[in-house]
Amino acid sequence: MGARLAKAGVMRVGLFTMAGLFLFMASSPAFALEENVYRQFMGLDSRRLVWFLAQMHLFFGAFVLGVPLFAVIIEVVGWKNDDSKFDNLAYEFTSLLSVAYATTAALGGLLAFALFTLYPTFMGYMAGIFKDVMFMYALLFFGETFCLYLYYYGWKWLKSGAPFPAASRWVFKGLSIIVAIFSLALLAGYVGPEMRTDTRWFIFLLYLLPIAIGLWIIRGRKTTHIFIGIMLNVFGTAIMQLANSWAGFMMSPTGVDADGTFVGTVWQAFENILATPIAIHRMLGNLAFGGLVAGSYAAVKFISAKTQEERAHYDWMGYISNFVAIVALIPLPFAGYYLGREVYSTSAVMGNNMMGGDFSWTFIIQAMLVGSLFLISNYYLWSGMTRIPGAERYYKFIKWILLALILSLAIWLTPHNLPLSSLEVGEMGGSQYHPVLKFLGLMPAKNAVVNLIILATFFSFLLYRRGNMKEPVSVRQQGKGARITIIVVGAVAIAMVAQYAWVMLNMDPAELDLPADRAQYIRTIGYALVAECLVGVIAIILALVDRGKLGQGLYLAATALNVTGFLGVYGFVVMEKASPVLRNVAVSQFLQLISCLILVGVIDIFLFKRAKSLGKMQWGKMTSRSQYALLLLTFVITMNMGLMGFIRSGLRGDWHIFGVMRDTSQWAGTPSNFVMTQQVSAAVLLFMVGTAFMFWLGSIANSKGEE
Amino acid sequence: MNSPISRVFVFLLIVLGVYLWIGYSITALTGSGDKATTVVEITPEGGEAIYWGKGRCFTCHSVGGQGSAVRGPNHGQFGEKFQQAMGARATERAAARTEKEGVEFTAVDYIVESLASPGAFVVEGYKNEMAVVYAPPISLNLKEIKAIVSYMMSLGGDLDMEAIDSAPSEITAKLYSKISAAAEAGGGDPELGAEVYEDNCVECHALGEEEDGEIGPNLSGIAATGLKFISESILAPAKSLTKGYETYVVINNEGRQFIGLKTRDGDGEVDITNALGDVETIAKADIKEIRIDDTLSIMPDDISEVLTVKEYQDVLSFLMLQKPAQEE
Repeated sequence: MGARLAKAGVMRVGLFTMAGLFLFMASSPAFALEENVYRQFMGLDSRRLVWFLAQMHLFFGAFVLGVPLFAVIIEVVGWKNDDSKFDNLAYEFTSLLSVAYATTAALGGLLAFALFTLYPTFMGYMAGIFKDVMFMYALLFFGETFCLYLYYYGWKWLKSGAPFPAASRWVFKGLSIIVAIFSLALLAGYVGPEMRTDTRWFIFLLYLLPIAIGLWIIRGRKTTHIFIGIMLNVFGTAIMQLANSWAGFMMSPTGVDADGTFVGTVWQAFENILATPIAIHRMLGNLAFGGLVAGSYAAVKFISAKTQEERAHYDWMGYISNFVAIVALIPLPFAGYYLGREVYSTSAVMGNNMMGGDFSWTFIIQAMLVGSLFLISNYYLWSGMTRIPGAERYYKFIKWILLALILSLAIWLTPHNLPLSSLEVGEMGGSQYHPVLKFLGLMPAKNAVVNLIILATFFSFLLYRRGNMKEPVSVRQQGKGARITIIVVGAVAIAMVAQYAWVMLNMDPAELDLPADRAQYIRTIGYALVAECLVGVIAIILALVDRGKLGQGLYLAATALNVTGFLGVYGFVVMEKASPVLRNVAVSQFLQLISCLILVGVIDIFLFKRAKSLGKMQWGKMTSRSQYALLLLTFVITMNMGLMGFIRSGLRGDWHIFGVMRDTSQWAGTPSNFVMTQQVSAAVLLFMVGTAFMFWLGSIANSKGEE
Repeated sequence: MNSPISRVFVFLLIVLGVYLWIGYSITALTGSGDKATTVVEITPEGGEAIYWGKGRCFTCHSVGGQGSAVRGPNHGQFGEKFQQAMGARATERAAARTEKEGVEFTAVDYIVESLASPGAFVVEGYKNEMAVVYAPPISLNLKEIKAIVSYMMSLGGDLDMEAIDSAPSEITAKLYSKISAAAEAGGGDPELGAEVYEDNCVECHALGEEEDGEIGPNLSGIAATGLKFISESILAPAKSLTKGYETYVVINNEGRQFIGLKTRDGDGEVDITNALGDVETIAKADIKEIRIDDTLSIMPDDISEVLTVKEYQDVLSFLMLQKPAQEE
């Protein structure tokens, strides 16, 4: 049954890829200044139809791209620790993919059909520019299909066996070295076309480095299987990046062509300003999304489990999925901030429209959703503490974390002003602004609390981690390795903050169009960062002299105080006196937070390495409520993905290609938030039903296979 | 209904129901997202419609207590920082501008300049980041910009429609001319366009009566040829060759080929100047074949490799300001 499904899947992928290519070749190139042609299918609103199909394709695509990322990581954990439990879990995650993959390709084909037939002028123009990229996209699909099916169906075949002969292993190591050298040369800018720094790092970190590592570790069948998994991710990421370049181009087009239309070289078009920031954001989003969809599978299985053994397994699976999602969720707001900054750099109009125009209220909904994600993730972690013997010692902290989260959420959701009736305005003293709450609606307040939400979530995780650990272990007794790691990782974390402190202490206010006397506002940020660095150094020293808990507490407290307290309030001063500096405040907050997560995290690893346990984890001892929390997380992240897609796409306003090709159709304009929720709800509902069906189909295939 | 799957499905429907309710409630509070573009008159009311609609001014500015944006200065009377509304404030700003430039600025001049060249005189404490309102994606035309100027002047100032529309001052007229040229050229900035011109065009072309370009035609008054012609001349130069600048192909008796402009036609020889400005003198007796090739231009046709969209638009707008002398 499984093999038949695989064959059908491969055929469907091939068929739709070919169909897409045929459509692409059949479409005649069109030019930006030509009059746009629009068509309809059965009288439907073409925009909403394409929107719906694109959303469905992206949901399935995100799942298909996200799951292999952590499946391979889990497989590596199992391989390194020689723990078949992890290996089986990775296999179970991968089994969810096979049907989803074919559905993703089918939806992609449908989307291509819809785009080429309903928006022929626009797609002709896009195909004219991206023809090379589109062909490469189709070819990469074959690579991904091959790797996916080899990875899944070759799992047992490649599970064990004799190591490869030494000569073969040296060949792989040689190849690895070649790839590593090439990747470093690319990173340094010696090879490859001219490109943005973020693109260079993206290629280095997500393509070349994993390939080099994958080749290096090949020594037998299992490691070859891991390498295939790595290649599966490389192909998947490349496919996503290529498709992102089209979406990015529509928002930030580059180049001029020879016929009066605005196009450029293929590389320029591909590597447009927003392509990589979108790709970074999407990668993290896919990882979180994939984790949570897999988590919802575990949750449903847990709820319907008949035996304690099943409950234990799916509880553990749900925990791992949620862990993966949290790891991706934590940096996601910053990737979003980076993307937002680049959107603003591309066009101030687009940037302002995003945060202060048509989408300001959409962002309020987004804040509700993202805030809920953090809150529910925390709830799931706290629920999980009930299965940890000894964790009750930490229950007392939960109410304070909850308080911090709720207050932060409330501030995050507070709008600057409200659309009020004249009567209500009169009651508020003739202003749309509430005398106190208006301050909570401004960016300094938002930046402060989003950092606190992440710190609180991290703190919850620390409590969870040490739930059944008795006492911290002496770092001094763990040998040089532990101490060197803490020093090196800590130094890197502090260096991140220190370099920005240096920038702030030396920045000329003229760079921000500010008079010289505003330098004090920039310098103050620098001093705050220097203070943070000093506390970081003290934390490292404390960890090295076996006062790690104190060091952690000190650095966490200093970061919370600096990021949320001092810079949160100081942001208002900056906004009043030197508003351009506000962005530097936000960057400094972000760097301190990341530094804190890294340094406190590495201390924690060694603090409780091989610590005495207060009892074994009681997997399966979870309430059904916690499983509904996992499900809710999946629903919320899916709705949020739809909403963010609406914002990203809607930012172009009535332009197909921003500033180049105007949308002259009857559907041009920005739909209301209600229309957005209708579209997204319909897509979420269908996606969830489709996913449930696929999981059911997969479980039939698995059970037949077991028989 | 008691099966786990049914319970999960009902749970999903409840969550989506809440989501829809939030979307509905917010839309009910804020109104529909679609904003229709309407034709406006040059009046304060027309300007107000543009300000809060197509012009998207509200995304950065507020007017007193109306709106919530703080990125740009408030245009109304608001707190200690903005003790006067824009119309009245413009007079003070114009006086400061006059003092700085040594040229008399009126309140209208100041407001028009802040729209035509937002970076020229930035309000202290604000960044020079205002969008070019006559460029995509906002793409306001001159009439719409005049409407906004009238709206700004109506906020506590003396509204003089003649100064805004029918009888603008010299400064305003010049700025209007810049806006028109730039808007026509897709929103480029003529000042930046002058730099692009300097970097890419001056080696072959010249502006002004006394500096004829040796290789390319003089571009003084080129605006009269229209945007389409200029655009085509840049992107596909062979399609729109100027008379006297045809490309010659010369093959000598040895079979060597020379391509360029015929810059001299003497008694016994001709000069062919190639795209790099190198001159080849060829004796007529040595010429096997000489012809004009109207499919070739010595002007580089790889401009798409050299210029970005923005630079292209900038240089277009700069060239659109090169009007014949009598028009200026």
